Amino acid sequence: MQFDDKVPIYYQIKNYLYHRMVAGELGLGEKLPAVRQLAVDLTVNVNTVQRALREMIDEGYIAPQRGRGNFVTQDATKIATLKQQLTTTYIQDLYGQLHALKLTDAEIIAEIKTYIQQRGDADDQRN
Amino acid sequence: MTNAIEITQLNYRKNTKTILTDVNLQLAPGKIVGLLGENGAGKTTLMRLIAGVAKNAKGTIAVHGETREAPRRAFVSFSEALQGFRPADKLSQIRDFYALAYPDFSAKKYLDLITFLQIDDDQKLATLSKGTREKFIIALTLSREAAVYLLDEPFNGIDSMSRKRIISSIIQWKQDSATMVISDHYVSEIAALLDEVVIIKDHTVCAHKSSDQIRSEFGLGIEAFYESIYEGDIHDDEL
Repeated sequence: MQFDDKVPIYYQIKNYLYHRMVAGELGLGEKLPAVRQLAVDLTVNVNTVQRALREMIDEGYIAPQRGRGNFVTQDATKIATLKQQLTTTYIQDLYGQLHALKLTDAEIIAEIKTYIQQRGDADDQRN
Repeated sequence: MTNAIEITQLNYRKNTKTILTDVNLQLAPGKIVGLLGENGAGKTTLMRLIAGVAKNAKGTIAVHGETREAPRRAFVSFSEALQGFRPADKLSQIRDFYALAYPDFSAKKYLDLITFLQIDDDQKLATLSKGTREKFIIALTLSREAAVYLLDEPFNGIDSMSRKRIISSIIQWKQDSATMVISDHYVSEIAALLDEVVIIKDHTVCAHKSSDQIRSEFGLGIEAFYESIYEGDIHDDEL
């Protein structure tokens, strides 16, 4: 994983784990790798991983079990809410940028539809 | 909590040349700290003083509260350049010397490290490439169960694969409570590793910040922050 050096690393680790949870790569109740293993995999400091996990425990996304390690929450609505939050964040960003280019709402929706259509066509050609 | 390293009003001159002036620095246990500065800024000298290898500085240096040089050396594992060894010495002989000289030397850690770093210790010192030599120094330094590790430019002139392995071995084998200081004059590769950054300029510590503070307060990466300080874009009163 590549980090943006201008953004606190613990924040980027949290984001990375949020995404994996929403995408289902880390399933409900799944055990997370050990802290040191995560640090090695991501090439970051153990302290930084600990900070990210501590915050995610406080937020309720991760449930620690004494002596057994850290587990993704069993609470499906929690992950569904997270998915909605991430989606809203990306749409806000995209909408803000297109809006700044003076596209109307109808144009924005049309552009997105066209894009998805063209992408689909490209996929079809490849298959 | 006692600081891992506490330096108060340190001044050091060599012959008539000023090397360090009024250095004050406190480092907490468990941190990985980048010691940054141009070549000749005094990074190596500061490490040698902390390690108790260089002597006769004014001021005090305490490692876990210990200010005397000889007992301090027992706490500090310093990546020395293997200067006291003969070119014909085998690496395994150097390992034997370390095991005798340092009671905290762990034979198991050493074996794990040379395996991970892919070093054959049946070789002679003289036959090592620059990269293997650096990796071997790292293996010896991390094999001690020390409270403080001082790594002096461990990435100098080595290929990127060796660099990655050295970084992984640091993450894997540094005990949580140990403090590690890594000096370098360019930082992009280790930026994600550093809890804190200490910058040396004009013979003294001109900035000591947590990495997250740099990112959130200044909106800069570590490398950019370091460059801004050296180029004078960030003034002393902003630090």
